Amino acid sequence: MRQEEQSKKSSRKEIDIVESTEEALQEAKEINEEYNYLNVISENLALGQARAISKNPNKGRLSGIFVSVKDCLVVKDVESTAGSRILKGYKPVFNATAVQRCIDEGAIIIGKTSQDEFGFGSFSVNVGVDCKIPLNPYDTERACGGSSGGAGGFTRKFSKRHIALGESTGGSIVCPASFCGIVGLCPTYGLVSRYGLMDYANSLDKIGPMAKNVDDAALLLDVISGFDEKDSTSVGKKDFMSGMKKDSKLKVAIIEENFGKGTDEEVKQAVISALDKAGIKYDKVKLPLTAKYGIATYYLISMSEASTNLAKYCGMRYGKHEKLDGNFNEYFTKVRGMHFGKEAKRRIMLGTFARMSGFRDAYYMQAMKVRTRIIEEYKNLFRKYDILVSPTMPFIAPKFSEIQKLTPLQNYMADIMTAGPNLAGLPHMSINAGFSKKEKMPIGIMFIADHFEEGKMLNIGKKVEGSLND
Amino acid sequence: MTQKFTSDIIIGLEIHVELDTNSKLFCSCSTENTEEPNKHTCQVCLGHPGSKPVLNKQAVEFAIRLCLALNCRLNPKLIFSRKNYFYPDMAKNYQITQYEIPLGTGGKLSIANGKEIGIVRVHMEEDPASLVHLGSMETSPFVLVDYNRSGRPLCEVVTKPDMTGPDEARDFMKKLITVLNYIGIFDQNNCIIKADANVSIKESGYVRSEVKNITGFKEIERALRYEVERQKRDFKEGKRLILETRAWDSDKGITIRLRTKETEEDYGYILDPDLVVTEITEKWVGEVKKEMPELAQDKIQKFISKYKIDRIDAEVIAAERPLAEMFEEVAKKVNPQLAARWMRIELVRVMNYNEKTFDDIPVKSSHIIELLEMVEKREITDNVAKKIMERFMNEAFSPRAYAKEQGLKVVSDSSELEKVCRDVIRENPKAVEDVKAGNEKSLNFLIGQVMRRTKGQASPKELNEIIKKMIK
Repeated sequence: MRQEEQSKKSSRKEIDIVESTEEALQEAKEINEEYNYLNVISENLALGQARAISKNPNKGRLSGIFVSVKDCLVVKDVESTAGSRILKGYKPVFNATAVQRCIDEGAIIIGKTSQDEFGFGSFSVNVGVDCKIPLNPYDTERACGGSSGGAGGFTRKFSKRHIALGESTGGSIVCPASFCGIVGLCPTYGLVSRYGLMDYANSLDKIGPMAKNVDDAALLLDVISGFDEKDSTSVGKKDFMSGMKKDSKLKVAIIEENFGKGTDEEVKQAVISALDKAGIKYDKVKLPLTAKYGIATYYLISMSEASTNLAKYCGMRYGKHEKLDGNFNEYFTKVRGMHFGKEAKRRIMLGTFARMSGFRDAYYMQAMKVRTRIIEEYKNLFRKYDILVSPTMPFIAPKFSEIQKLTPLQNYMADIMTAGPNLAGLPHMSINAGFSKKEKMPIGIMFIADHFEEGKMLNIGKKVEGSLND
Repeated sequence: MTQKFTSDIIIGLEIHVELDTNSKLFCSCSTENTEEPNKHTCQVCLGHPGSKPVLNKQAVEFAIRLCLALNCRLNPKLIFSRKNYFYPDMAKNYQITQYEIPLGTGGKLSIANGKEIGIVRVHMEEDPASLVHLGSMETSPFVLVDYNRSGRPLCEVVTKPDMTGPDEARDFMKKLITVLNYIGIFDQNNCIIKADANVSIKESGYVRSEVKNITGFKEIERALRYEVERQKRDFKEGKRLILETRAWDSDKGITIRLRTKETEEDYGYILDPDLVVTEITEKWVGEVKKEMPELAQDKIQKFISKYKIDRIDAEVIAAERPLAEMFEEVAKKVNPQLAARWMRIELVRVMNYNEKTFDDIPVKSSHIIELLEMVEKREITDNVAKKIMERFMNEAFSPRAYAKEQGLKVVSDSSELEKVCRDVIRENPKAVEDVKAGNEKSLNFLIGQVMRRTKGQASPKELNEIIKKMIK
């Protein structure tokens, strides 16, 4: 049953909302015991919302639907840590705009999903000190992908009607969607307000839905998108819901570099056959600049910004604090040394280095210029094509034992396909394109559209999704 | 250093001006001063995770006004950066400020001696929180943080090293405060103006020290006088002067070394990605210009050409916007020269004597007009007018009604006046003889006697003539 229909039912009180919420909480707890998808299960908030809805039916479009929230988005009075021990115990005083819009439409907030600390990772293994790593719903020896790993796994595993609020900086929505066999949609930069998002890299961060199907992803995006005066970078929206339904002839091209030798054969085949099965014709195009400089540019900018964003966590106003001794510098150093994880420290150091005088022009400023060129490279292609297609990830979800062997640089290279559209602020979406034969692990196909052309992306996504379900 | 200096002392200033907006630079919290700590705070100015800055348009308009008043070129794009350093008064451990491209560049401001002081840049930034110590910073066992100030809008004005003495620095500050008052972006009673001064002397080859946190124009002269003397003394004693940052201790009247600056601090600036570029369009600047009041310099010119008053009178009156505006109203009804004389000398004198500013005194221009009309028509003497002026410091009232009620008017009934004069002459034969011998002092003594008997209501000028005539 589609969630929109279920939503109607729940507002007609055909299902007892309180009872179903209790059941859902029970199921979430059981799943969490085994898979570690939720840092917090917001039992009181969820039950309170359910009771309120049962007394006073909410006619909103998400009425009675469960929504999980990536830990980096603040939920009022619910511990929100962005997966970091340094924020342990922090209960925000306000709701993120995206969360508030879901609540206003009658959603029930079930919990905060696990992630790489502050979003710093592609496998959700870089969780904060004392935090648990989410396990792949298909194979617990494998990763969920990251950084919205908890959201990906929970969306796949949870049986109730549910959509996840994820967040992507360099691929953190589509990567776990690909590894967990679900739909992940990262919108145009600015389409969804970042107000209430604990920043990783402000010029790159985007909030987007993760769902079991394209319709639900579109529904949640429609609810959370649009201008918000509290975020200066937010913009108004174009009607993508009708664009999704239109029977339009879209010009499609595949990105050649992403079908090269770095990509697993099975992944390439699954993506091409998904297009063929849906009867989609395509050209081949190249993105040489993006392929060559995308990763370096992405990491320079994101780490530079991240290293300033994380400065505020110093044990003074909120989150973890320690016994006060020494001068402020010694105290801040102690708190940060104790409670940031290893990858967070690495990115703070690299990011600080890249913006120091003497290096700033060569790294940070240079990356900003290359970013503009990368945007131009995509824009040129979108003059001719509506949709660009690529595998989401070059491989299926790796085993934890394999990840352990990777160097930091090899880790960063996993974002080779997703860094580009994220840098350019372009909407992109991953849907399941099938499974690997031996491991039976999901493979994702990624669609990229021009800015604010979510409608076209949803349109082709639905087409491919439909042909694969047949 | 590319610039060639020749003068004995070189001074450049960096001045922080708090803008008198209703709300803070990036959130809607009030900028009102309050005794209650952390009253005007929210998630934005406390730097809570997830909060985002939204630019206050009024603050931008105020900053544009300042740039225009200082003849700066306005940059068409307003861009903010993050200045990164850890300090307990910083909510985010970075300050949102402007770095590469400031709002205004290449301006100037003339000081009293006619010299033009170059303005390198005017930029906008947020104020940090304030730190509260018990007693002094060195001995306090704790520090408290009050975030009421966190996020208030500031403009930083950076001058060229064009000043060659502490007096010029003082005058520059004074002129700047006049400009700020004129353009209505600064409230002297609530807003803070602080200067950091870079100062160096010829003997050392212009090795500069930066003296931080000097408040007000009187302090800047004191601080710089001390610092110049210190540098000269150190140099004479054979100490090597080094690049350093010093603090001004106003109570002790000395500067103290904070840190040496062998290397410049590295703030690792990046563009603030939470704020979009704000276009400073010509249309917007035009609208701001339209709302700008006439500046002091314009008023001085107008006063001289339109009202034919002295340059000095014009400069003193124009230095304070409310005084200048009151003068313009008064000059419509009363002889402008008379008005200028009375307002520049008497009104300013009694205000200074009573330590009042224009905001403290209740009197309106209509009262001044009434008073000066009475002076003009010689209905009261200057002495009575002066006394009324003094009363104006504490209350507003109609001087005409007051004079009537108190029986204060010029004794112009000459027969009555002559009678008093005759009495005085008769009772003081010695003084009369002295006057006849050419002693001016004795004439003044006789006039004084008549004034006393008439309670100061006679005009001294008239008395002078009457007594002289009678004695001859």
